[in-house]
Amino acid sequence: MRIYLFLFVFFIFSNLSAQQIDTIAGSGNEIVVTATRTERKLSNVAIPVTLINQKTIQQAGSVRINDILQEQTGLFLTNGFGTGVQMQGLNPDYTLILVDGQPLVGRTAGVLDLNRISVGNIKQIEIVKGPSSSLYGSEAMAGVINIITDQSKSNKLKLSARYGSFNTGDFNIDGSFRKNKFAYQGFGNIYNTDGFSIRPNSTERSIAPIKRYTMQHNFNYYFTDKTNLLFNFRMNNENITNLISVNNNGNTISSKGFEKNKDFNATLQLTHRFNNKIKNIARLYGTRYESTQELVTSTRVPYTDYFKQQFGRIENQTDFTINNQVELNTGFGYAIETANSTRYDNSNNTKINHIGFAFVQTEWKPITPLTLIAGARFDNNELYAAAFSPKLALQYKATKKISLKASIGRGFKAPDFRQLYLNFTNIAAGGYSVYGALEAQKTINELNRLGQISSIENDFYSLNNLQPELSTGINIGGNYAINKKINFSLNLFHNNIENLIDTRLVAYKTGGAQIFSYINVKNAYTKGIETNVDFKANALFTISGGYQFLLTGDKDEIEKINAGKVFTRDANGFSRLMQRSEYIGLANRSKHMANLKFQYEKNSWFTNLRFIYRSKWAITDTDGNGLFNTNDAFAKGYLQVNTALGKTFMSKLSVQIGCNNLLNYEDPSNLPNMAGRTFYTTLSYQFLKNKTKNRII
Amino acid sequence: MKKGIIALALVLSLYACKKDSTSVIDTPVSTIRINNLAADTIIGITPGAPPTGGMPYGAGKYTFFSLENNKIIPNSDSASTKWDIGFRGTTIITNSGNSGPATGGAFIYVGLFDGLKTIHADSVFKVDNAPSAYAITSGSNRGWFVYDGINNLVNPIPGRVLVIRTASGKFAKLEILNYYKGGVTPAASASDAIKINAQRYYTFRFTFQPNGTKVF
Repeated sequence: MRIYLFLFVFFIFSNLSAQQIDTIAGSGNEIVVTATRTERKLSNVAIPVTLINQKTIQQAGSVRINDILQEQTGLFLTNGFGTGVQMQGLNPDYTLILVDGQPLVGRTAGVLDLNRISVGNIKQIEIVKGPSSSLYGSEAMAGVINIITDQSKSNKLKLSARYGSFNTGDFNIDGSFRKNKFAYQGFGNIYNTDGFSIRPNSTERSIAPIKRYTMQHNFNYYFTDKTNLLFNFRMNNENITNLISVNNNGNTISSKGFEKNKDFNATLQLTHRFNNKIKNIARLYGTRYESTQELVTSTRVPYTDYFKQQFGRIENQTDFTINNQVELNTGFGYAIETANSTRYDNSNNTKINHIGFAFVQTEWKPITPLTLIAGARFDNNELYAAAFSPKLALQYKATKKISLKASIGRGFKAPDFRQLYLNFTNIAAGGYSVYGALEAQKTINELNRLGQISSIENDFYSLNNLQPELSTGINIGGNYAINKKINFSLNLFHNNIENLIDTRLVAYKTGGAQIFSYINVKNAYTKGIETNVDFKANALFTISGGYQFLLTGDKDEIEKINAGKVFTRDANGFSRLMQRSEYIGLANRSKHMANLKFQYEKNSWFTNLRFIYRSKWAITDTDGNGLFNTNDAFAKGYLQVNTALGKTFMSKLSVQIGCNNLLNYEDPSNLPNMAGRTFYTTLSYQFLKNKTKNRII
Repeated sequence: MKKGIIALALVLSLYACKKDSTSVIDTPVSTIRINNLAADTIIGITPGAPPTGGMPYGAGKYTFFSLENNKIIPNSDSASTKWDIGFRGTTIITNSGNSGPATGGAFIYVGLFDGLKTIHADSVFKVDNAPSAYAITSGSNRGWFVYDGINNLVNPIPGRVLVIRTASGKFAKLEILNYYKGGVTPAASASDAIKINAQRYYTFRFTFQPNGTKVF
């Protein structure tokens, strides 16, 4: 959204003389906003950024945001509590997901289900890699994915419908209207699928039947050329029904699961340019996520789970353009976050956190080829320790062909409400309990007083106010435009992660039931190489490929291995010492991930063939030594091939057909969300499209 | 290089054998492997569904074993000093404390079975105080096994040696190799029925020192 509002801002106030083209804002066609919270040409950003544009999304036949993210270098989509994204080897918990620059809430076990986001009205997706808490605060430990919706500059109306395997239908309406000082953009999406099951003899579907409705409305009013008021709201509702049938020793117990998720966000934003040096944005943002799950079994009382999270924030950002060499961005704000859940002690008991924050960033271009960025943010929290997140970045355009980048930054993730307040006892599986860190101390002391605790483990005494999880990330790389046809980019990354929160056994109840809670205990690292190559063979044919090499490890585990305290088993089942070389680090990470895309476009035709590869990843510690090594169970590496073909008639009607998972690869236990081969066809029609005058602030 | 290491190992092992055969004169200890020791195997599943039903159960009886005599002791002799250890599900008892009349005991040594040549003089043998505390600590990741809750499987932790004081006050060391029938853990993807029916069969190896010393 910001892109639209501020588009070309630097060009208006500067004369476009040849020397001034390469200002801080930069030159080139692609503009990104997420890396610096200001518009920058992609070629001028000192931080690793991937940009996915609307055309790429459409031509891949994507429906939900995860469809397109899975085809990007170095991103792996995880399943379990929805679809999350693993970036630079960090869990989904540590990537901040923004829509139009504003955060979505409602994570389950740390995962924000990306299926909630339709791609129908997306203008572009910006992926910033490396800790970015210096601008965004909590959750931006691995990076940020900012989904920027279309804010058209024209009057238009577009309809599209897609139909595919498993009775999956997706319908979009996208329109914009502009008159004088007023602009409106509206979007609606209906998604429906019957779901599927790739497990034989199972009535339970790995993808349950889902109905989703999304709408977004965006209103802009331009008081003058210098002042704009924006109101934006977005809603997403989903209903999921699942029939579950458990066969237990001949008794079949059928139950029906219902899940309703509601997601709402609204932004009110006032942008004002005081003069050609100072611009100010004041913003009020609110979002709510509500989830209700019900499991109805013929024989028992229905089980209900309720979760509601709300987030409200008021903030102000001021951008100072001091001169062509220096720009300064400052901001401050205040946020309130609340949660209610049946997973806590009492769902009527609202949990509240207050956050005050301020950030400053300066970008300096001392000489034409060099850009330096320094920034920091301070987040003060009511519920846990404050966090200070600095960042430094530089870009050096060594020659016209070679540009080098380096950045170092700190990221953090605040403990979430679950880690503080969870109050969960699993009666079905032996009666173990998991309590949030604050809840655990209170509850265990109370149970102990009542004589219901048989033993307290050492870890109980380390239960304290949880600290934010921290990462320090270094990214070093560059871009080499070998010639007009070939472009090569490389990025080396190293993330040092401290204070990771993990569940630990803290006490035993009388009768032996275990009590777990959350403690800052783990230190880990992820490091690797990401590389991308684009080859434009001729005006029609393009090949692009990417590869990520990843190594991960838990520092305490490595210490234990080096101390000779970790064992595994030989072929006879006898214990033997485990070697450092057998250690493979964190589970669910692939050492090698690659993608390759062939794209052919001629006149109004296009076709593409996309390969996505992921090498094996550890799934279970089968040798019982508590960590992951070559003697454990792995999911097999796999290759997924997708293809699409499309044609546009008279610039109005577009037809597209496609096939995903052409090789029909299935792995029911490890990739339950991956259907076999699926087909789809999409029709879209552009009713009208009139260019109107651009409004720029 | 590799050849050199092998040669060195050979020399070392010869040396080790020589040393053993001279220092332990009376009875050279032997290591015995026991396969498929049934330990209260599953005989049924409670009717209904979890949490009230659907729980697999056995007859509730321990399988007693004499390390000294390398044989299973009938359950009727539970109150005797004929047995050294007893197995029921994942719980292992010693003939000590409130589990039996003898003055046995045990502790868990972290390290390799072959690496344990001498029980350290400072080692403390614990005795059973059922059901809250056993000499061989019960529960996942506390004693000899870890429970993989996702796949519903029990895996013995590698590098855990059960050091046992027998009913007669002699010493033995024991390593549990597997918890499933045939000494093979079912695949994670195996059906619940397979996992239920194959469990509670111990494969282990042990060395009993009949001369009463703490040296193996």
